[in-house]
Amino acid sequence: MKKVTPKKRSLFKNKTLIIGCGRLGSSMANKCSLEGKNIVVVDKNPDAFDRLSDAFGGLTMVGDVTHLDFLQEAHISTAKEIIITTGDDNINVFVAHIARKIFDVPEIYVRLDSPENEVLLKGLAIKAIFPFELSYDKFNVLRGGRK
Amino acid sequence: MKIVIAGGYQAADYIIKKFKTTSNKLIVINESREVAQYLTKSNQIPVFYGEPYKYFVLEEANVEDADIFVALSKIDTDNYISCLLAKKVFNVKKCICIVNNPKNVDVFRDLGIDSVVSSTQLLATSVMNESSLEDLIKTMSLEDEKIVLTEVVMKATYEIVNKRIADINFPKTGNISCIYRKPSVIIPNGSTIILPKDKLLVVTTPNHQKEVLAFIQKSK
Repeated sequence: MKKVTPKKRSLFKNKTLIIGCGRLGSSMANKCSLEGKNIVVVDKNPDAFDRLSDAFGGLTMVGDVTHLDFLQEAHISTAKEIIITTGDDNINVFVAHIARKIFDVPEIYVRLDSPENEVLLKGLAIKAIFPFELSYDKFNVLRGGRK
Repeated sequence: MKIVIAGGYQAADYIIKKFKTTSNKLIVINESREVAQYLTKSNQIPVFYGEPYKYFVLEEANVEDADIFVALSKIDTDNYISCLLAKKVFNVKKCICIVNNPKNVDVFRDLGIDSVVSSTQLLATSVMNESSLEDLIKTMSLEDEKIVLTEVVMKATYEIVNKRIADINFPKTGNISCIYRKPSVIIPNGSTIILPKDKLLVVTTPNHQKEVLAFIQKSK
């Protein structure tokens, strides 16, 4: 398969693709939407979009993100950034690899529950977010470094 | 050989039985407790219970430097991650991955998995090979369908029959690699004469297969 290099990326210059509309995905979508970004949110389950606020002004799509065809339908090839937030680390890493190696999306952010999976992203310029580590860091800050 | 079998039920069982010899060291990992127990019982070997896409499971099972890693789980992305971990972190030499969605074959290959198998795709290929060509011809694809091996039976009416290979001006895009003339096998050279009922094994690329076959089957 050839690498897809979109010619008209400028047309969709500000599009952010959010994969997964769970608590993390939906809150990101809501906030990004308030910032005025052009957003597409996808999820396997149509009920997941209930989490989006009334003010959300982006596009929603229902489908399986492990299918390349669906990602193409969601215009992954012209996305400026992609935020991958499903609850399954394996799916997240897989989609991140597709986004980098096949579509070469400029900015890729991925949620990982297990820090061990970071090795799989080495050298690919994919930025990982670890919710559990963030909570722990925040906890440490809150208790002021006391032991 | 050190072989790791990750996930799977019947397929895992079958592969274990096939490769369980003294020269092979088998490491079996399964994420279902029942299946793990069944595999232990039916094959008399230890089975690691755990998810093969987790770093610590592979570490505990000691898959380091294995020769072959086979991922047989039902979920494609799980197989992808276990293969990748095995390859990148544990230095496994070759990974084989089963996929349910035949479209994932190309995707996984693009993403760096050595060998991707889809039963649906295999089925489709054999249906195509059996149906699209005439009864007399059998084809087989090698190296991810970059090479095609075609078997053609010679009829007396063909133009190239009863001639020396050097004289028939065979297309440059193909090669007669072998002739089966009951009961012997002939490796042909320019002076070999093609006889009726010979079976020719012809090597071509998929793009040139039709053209070469048309040349062979041209009638007098």
